[in-house]
Amino acid sequence: MKTNIAFLLVIALATASASASELHIGAATTSITPDKPVALDGHRGLRISKKVESPVTATALALESRDGDKVLDAAIIVSCDIVAIRSGIMEKVREKVKPRLPGFDLANIFLSATHTHNAPVTLEGRYTLPESGVMKPAEYAEFMATRVADAIVESWQKRKIGKVSWAQSQAVVAQNRRATYADGTAKMYGATNTASFRGIEGYEDHNLDVLFFWDQQDRLIATAINVPCPSQEAEGGLLLHADFWHPVRQMLRERHGKDLCVLGWAGAGGDQTSRLMYGKAADERMRKLRGLTRLEEVARRIVNGWEDAYECARKDIRSDAVLRHCVKEIELPHRKVTEAEVAEARKEAAKFAKDPAQRWNYRWHMGVVERYEAQKAGAEQPYKMELHVLRLGDVAIAINEFELFTDYGVQMKARSPAVQTFVIQLATNSGGYLPTERAVRGGGYSAVIQSSRVGPEGGQVLVDCTVDMIKAMWPKTK
Amino acid sequence: MVLALALAFSSVGASAAELWIGAATADITPDRPVPLTGNTSVRIAREIQSRLTANVLALESREGERVVDQAIMVSCDLCVIRPGIQEGFRKHLAGRLPGFDLNKLLLAATHTHAAPVILQNRYDEKDYGDAMQPKEYVPWMYQRMAEAVVKAWKSREKGAVAWGLGHAVAGHNRRVVYSDGTAKMYGAMNIPEFRGVEGYEDHGVHVLCFYDSQKRLKAAAISLATTAQAAGGNKVSADFWHDVRRLIHEQHGESVCVLGFCAPAGDQTPRAHVNKKSEERMCKLRDLTYCEEIGRRVAGAFDDVAGVIAKDIRADVSLIHRVRQVELPARVITEAEYAVAKKVCEEVDVRKKRLKTDAWTRHFYGLVVERYLAQQKGGWKTYAMEMHVLRLGDVAIATNPFELFVDYGVQIQARSPAVQTFLIQLATSGPRPAYYVPTPRAVAGGALNANPFTNYSATAAANMIGPEGAQVLVDRTAEAINGLWKPPAKQN
Repeated sequence: MKTNIAFLLVIALATASASASELHIGAATTSITPDKPVALDGHRGLRISKKVESPVTATALALESRDGDKVLDAAIIVSCDIVAIRSGIMEKVREKVKPRLPGFDLANIFLSATHTHNAPVTLEGRYTLPESGVMKPAEYAEFMATRVADAIVESWQKRKIGKVSWAQSQAVVAQNRRATYADGTAKMYGATNTASFRGIEGYEDHNLDVLFFWDQQDRLIATAINVPCPSQEAEGGLLLHADFWHPVRQMLRERHGKDLCVLGWAGAGGDQTSRLMYGKAADERMRKLRGLTRLEEVARRIVNGWEDAYECARKDIRSDAVLRHCVKEIELPHRKVTEAEVAEARKEAAKFAKDPAQRWNYRWHMGVVERYEAQKAGAEQPYKMELHVLRLGDVAIAINEFELFTDYGVQMKARSPAVQTFVIQLATNSGGYLPTERAVRGGGYSAVIQSSRVGPEGGQVLVDCTVDMIKAMWPKTK
Repeated sequence: MVLALALAFSSVGASAAELWIGAATADITPDRPVPLTGNTSVRIAREIQSRLTANVLALESREGERVVDQAIMVSCDLCVIRPGIQEGFRKHLAGRLPGFDLNKLLLAATHTHAAPVILQNRYDEKDYGDAMQPKEYVPWMYQRMAEAVVKAWKSREKGAVAWGLGHAVAGHNRRVVYSDGTAKMYGAMNIPEFRGVEGYEDHGVHVLCFYDSQKRLKAAAISLATTAQAAGGNKVSADFWHDVRRLIHEQHGESVCVLGFCAPAGDQTPRAHVNKKSEERMCKLRDLTYCEEIGRRVAGAFDDVAGVIAKDIRADVSLIHRVRQVELPARVITEAEYAVAKKVCEEVDVRKKRLKTDAWTRHFYGLVVERYLAQQKGGWKTYAMEMHVLRLGDVAIATNPFELFVDYGVQIQARSPAVQTFLIQLATSGPRPAYYVPTPRAVAGGALNANPFTNYSATAAANMIGPEGAQVLVDRTAEAINGLWKPPAKQN
């Protein structure tokens, strides 16, 4: 792990303003689709997969900046079709990579999740699983970590001098899923066709930030697409599914080469999905006229946005873009559990305690009780998070572990000195929802204490730390 | 009675009907220097960035020889349909549209801030100088628009319609909230106190395409939740609607009449905010101004929709058009607001050296004083408005005269039974100005004080009605739309 952050930031600043570095780029995609039925992650109830609707994959992007033979910095970024990077997965992957890439600073690797709700469970104990016929979470985690490590190694070994460009366009994909009502309450996926409906709680970020990676002959080899929305369109059911990223990848590969590596990055979208809160009839009719499913329509919008960005990106391909990568462990204050919240959680947990089918619900409430007890005993440690911030040319990339409400992502983007700022949520670990103050006031699933270990106070610390790290990578302008 | 109700319902429903369509465009660009409206002081435009137009759509639904209903809608490249303008225009048209009920004509503004002043006393007359006076411009504009209305009405012929929904990221919520709970229109976002954008953005682009009997595109009406304020500057400009029209004309022919409508967007504007730097770079790479870029997005959304809905062109849809007078509870002026406003007015009145913003400031705060005093005597309790609600096939169209915050537009759409709900703000005009209609969260962003830009758009001075009145507006609109879909209740 990188420890001397201050030193690195000084170096970063110096290099950022310097010129003439070479960017070496490698990319690889691997299937992380299990060949047996698995428990699907993301819902309260247990779902065992019956069929593979679309393969879940992991795509690794290796970047290395060099000045002649001197390595300036490096990063290996992996996008995974999974609900979250659960605790232990990052460590497992790094452990597997360690002997295969000797000398490589493992802190330079990070994984992020697209948040498909139709991918395997990777953590034991979340559900009560059948004894047989199902690939267990630990077994799947081992399988996935091995495949991801393979992709990381492959991408690193394939790296060659290349070029990069970046562009921004728009795609109306993210829909804020929290409806607010006359009594001040809020509800995730709440009804909007009632007289008490007052509005959608918060913002939606419809920008599509795209990175394009080219070989020396200006052939596109990889692209990273940042959509501030999790991929949950196909949510539910018993199909293993990469959600909208699958048709996005298919369409881009049809048009730009079958070997194109596509990284799907979920931006700050804890309060978003691509599912509509109103206007469903019009959308349904338009899709019918186009002959598309909603999943395909979402993919069409992303691909259209990508193509729009691509046209501009082709005009400004850079071969000397600086790469800096800083990693820092930051501490965020926990959201405090109130007496009323713990009382409610105890009551609810008791209802589910004896029913194995209610394991998820039991754990959801008991987590609050455990936090309260630690808080009361003064044993609660700050929430620790591995924060990666990268500079690539005029682009900043910042990650976080949460289902981060969009407002925080907007704050980061607005305060960033970068021309474009990519925010990747659900990376390196799984920190749960991080709601805004207005969401906490309104309540509802994604804003209640059970769903949120870090609250608005911690959210602000996260924003400030992220912005500070980004700013340190840009020379100060008068 | 039962038979009458059944007939009424059948006319509301999708019975066989003919749709007669006429369209025409008037150039309403003044040929002289002109004072521009929309800012706190007058700007005299001596150059033309893009031409201003009024685009007219005439609709008549017929069953055989029987006229079922009618509508004339005029989209104007103006900032606001100021008090008295629609009434004056109807008077100007009197006797020129035989068989047409002038109450079924409505004017709507695109909200370009680079169009002429149309109220003589909006600013200090001294500042108009040698430019065309509002009192000269308005009759001239009436004449041009009337010619187009007559042409559209008289040229109507049997045609067809199609509708669809696309998307364009054009409008952005311009209200920024801070850690102390305050909000500011166009507030800074790159500071640590920034907490978020106050509210929602609706990026839906509602499209109505009108065709002749050979299914050739004749007119297009486009509604989206943003005002036409991308251009700025001191030149006459139709803002991004000019670019939308230009691109549609290039693609679909010069003769297509394009009506641009502004859906509820009191808190929106087409100005880049969160991603200013990247927007600037992208515009540079495309060699476009931001105004042209917004035009490109909207025209792109139109094309995305127009190609698809051409598969579902309907010739037999019925048009129903209801015009209602609605009374909404007015925003109550508090004693504190009155005190602030009175003090500002007094300061302006005694100021020795006149400021160019004085007329605007005096009007802004003076109306607060006037309203407070009237309310103390039991007056100014309500705001009267004219509401148009139409059904055209599976589409509902509803108007309001305000700069209505987007949340209210979302409420109306969510509660509407129509497949698409096409909303138009800044439409029609009554005897009083309409101004902004804020949400409770916007009102909470700051109280009226001597700086008019403190929580501008959500203080009492900028609101004839507040959230209470807005909720009544939403309810009445939803009821009116529902009334065009539901079968009438059975009566004993």
